[in-house]
Amino acid sequence: MPELRILVVDDEPDIRATVQAMLEIEGHVVGLAANGADALAAVERDPPDLILLDMRMPVLDGWGFAAELRRRRLDIPVVVMTAARDAARWASEISAPAFVSKPFRFDDLLTAVERARPEPFA
Amino acid sequence: MTALELIGAINQILFVGLFVVVLRHALRERRRSSFNTALLFGSIAAVVLVSRVADALGLAEHPAYPGIVITLLAVAPFAMVRLVDDFSHSPRAIQIAGYLGFAVVAAMAILAFGPIQRLVGLVAIVFFLVVGGYAGYAFAREAARARGITRRRMTAVATGAVAFIAALVLIFAGVLLPRVAETASILAQVAALVAAGAFFLGFAPPAWIRRAWREPDLRHFLERSIHLAGVTDERAAVAELNVAAASALGARGASVGIADPNRGVLRYVDAETGEWSDFPDDMFIAGRAYRAGRRVVAEDAAAADPQHADRYRATGANAVIATPIGTDARRLGVLAVYAERMSIFAEDDLWLVDLLADQSAVLLEARTLAEHASALRAREEAARMKEEFLSAAAHDLRTPLTVVLGQAELLERRQQRSPEAPADAQGLARIAREARRLSDLVSELLDAQRLEQGGAVRDFAPADLLEVVAAVRERYSEGGVTLSAPAPSLPLIASVDRPRIEQVLDNLVENALKYTPQGPPPEVHVAIDGGEARIAVVDHGIGIPGTDRKRIFERFFRASNAQSITDTGLGLGLFICRRIVEEHGGRIWFEPTPGGGTTFAITLPLVEESGTEPLDERGDAWEPRPARGVAADA
Repeated sequence: MPELRILVVDDEPDIRATVQAMLEIEGHVVGLAANGADALAAVERDPPDLILLDMRMPVLDGWGFAAELRRRRLDIPVVVMTAARDAARWASEISAPAFVSKPFRFDDLLTAVERARPEPFA
Repeated sequence: MTALELIGAINQILFVGLFVVVLRHALRERRRSSFNTALLFGSIAAVVLVSRVADALGLAEHPAYPGIVITLLAVAPFAMVRLVDDFSHSPRAIQIAGYLGFAVVAAMAILAFGPIQRLVGLVAIVFFLVVGGYAGYAFAREAARARGITRRRMTAVATGAVAFIAALVLIFAGVLLPRVAETASILAQVAALVAAGAFFLGFAPPAWIRRAWREPDLRHFLERSIHLAGVTDERAAVAELNVAAASALGARGASVGIADPNRGVLRYVDAETGEWSDFPDDMFIAGRAYRAGRRVVAEDAAAADPQHADRYRATGANAVIATPIGTDARRLGVLAVYAERMSIFAEDDLWLVDLLADQSAVLLEARTLAEHASALRAREEAARMKEEFLSAAAHDLRTPLTVVLGQAELLERRQQRSPEAPADAQGLARIAREARRLSDLVSELLDAQRLEQGGAVRDFAPADLLEVVAAVRERYSEGGVTLSAPAPSLPLIASVDRPRIEQVLDNLVENALKYTPQGPPPEVHVAIDGGEARIAVVDHGIGIPGTDRKRIFERFFRASNAQSITDTGLGLGLFICRRIVEEHGGRIWFEPTPGGGTTFAITLPLVEESGTEPLDERGDAWEPRPARGVAADA
């Protein structure tokens, strides 16, 4: 599987670092953002192939970020990553192709990333 | 037929008609007052009958005729005085005058009318004026004292009595003074017509008038009592219901007993102390009515319930009407009304008492429903908060767990792929940090649980609060937290569980830092107020929305704007603070900081020997008013 450029958006620094380490071990290239607003700036600068998105965050939350992404016609697949029980519902709310519930196993994360991996010729 | 004859005929018909009505009533309700009413109109009807018969038979000139008529007419004032005695105390002299006067007039009229005609007339006039006049006065006095329909009926009766006595006096005046005989006769007929009309309204008002007269009582009662459905304190509601019922009836007092079927008692509110007093549910006349499920009327309460005669006498409750509240299927209690004497219009009172009992039932049921509804709401709210808490707790536990689990798996993989590589120090540090966070969360949960149950604050020892606060500030000096306090040479000794008080201050300072995304750092102020130390943590952060103010110290409650700062938080911190401060005999509260932000303050009682002189002349230096700013902040 070719490696991806993935943006990890989460307000918890330790979560960001952990997810980053997991993805890097698999060969992906990882960018980090602490909330929706930071993430938007990062996407504008350098659009990633995939976004791992926490939902409840200060400043701009996951829903706000997803809506802004759609408004700017940036068609980047999102994996919802949340500690809440509503992960599946929230994923469908923002049309995310995959989700992982915290706490997750290494393999759960990789499976979700593969499910959301963009089609090569889409 | 002349106009005068027409009026005379109408009068005769009215009085006979009245007699028929009150006689029927007296036969239905055999009470002394009904009998005396019947006696009053019976005597007048008899006069009408005798004069008609005498006219028809040509006996008007018979020597016995005037004596019989005068005797019959003299019954009226006598009956009136008896009637007065039925509803109020009348002086014994008047009663004796009534009997004696009647006897004298009757004897003179029958035995010796002819020769001493003028004397009989004079004696009769005096008798009518004194005894009848007193009755008229007594009716008027009762009217002024009574309320609602009884007042109106009494007013009519008083008017009738005065007009009737006037008619009698005029008739006799006509006999004594032949020159004014004609005028007196006309005036007498007019007065009699007024009397007949007034008596009709008083003693036998038509149903539609009765309804119109009753309506204000009922409305008055409803206006006074309708809000009671929402009064939370049942004792206060019952006390007010008592007053409203007594006032609507114009009675001396009323007492609502609330049934407690489990204990077999009726709960009354003591009129003097305002406290509940419980009595067996078959005690008193009220208890009898409650047990029997029907109205009980006792004109003489002491005789009806001799066991408690003293009690009735002591409270002036000579007459008692008691009616159960509620239906047979669901008996809620009893309404008892006390009066000095039974009104002569008791049927109106009975009607009103029944109606008030029905209204009370509606009110009590409404109260019960409201109570159930609020209990249900409270349960739902508690369930919702628990649900939210569980969800928040699960969330807060999952975040550190994610790190611990993820980092552990990473270590595992690294170990498998390259066993010789050095350990990932950063990953290990993260695991340790997040494991500690998990441990803190679990402690917080346990803390809240133990503080809720009480007794978690135990190890009280004297400590210098200035030193405690300084230690706290030292921990947060990186966050720029400043401290202002009285001169450090004077210790502020309080008996505290020191780790717990530090926990409170840590929590308040951490909150202040956390909820101040930008702006000046928080300040800690210490001041003395009387025998208390006041410690305030002033921040210039996001503040607490007005709608959340009442609930901020509740367990599991998080301010609605807290989420914008951090997703984590169980809503336990301030609850824990409140419990700890309260266990120390102190208080905790908060106020908005002028210009934005929040000021949390706690007080702790100082040990007696510590200086109570205001060490800081600005005794309330914690208050974040710019004019009273404290030097150390600058």
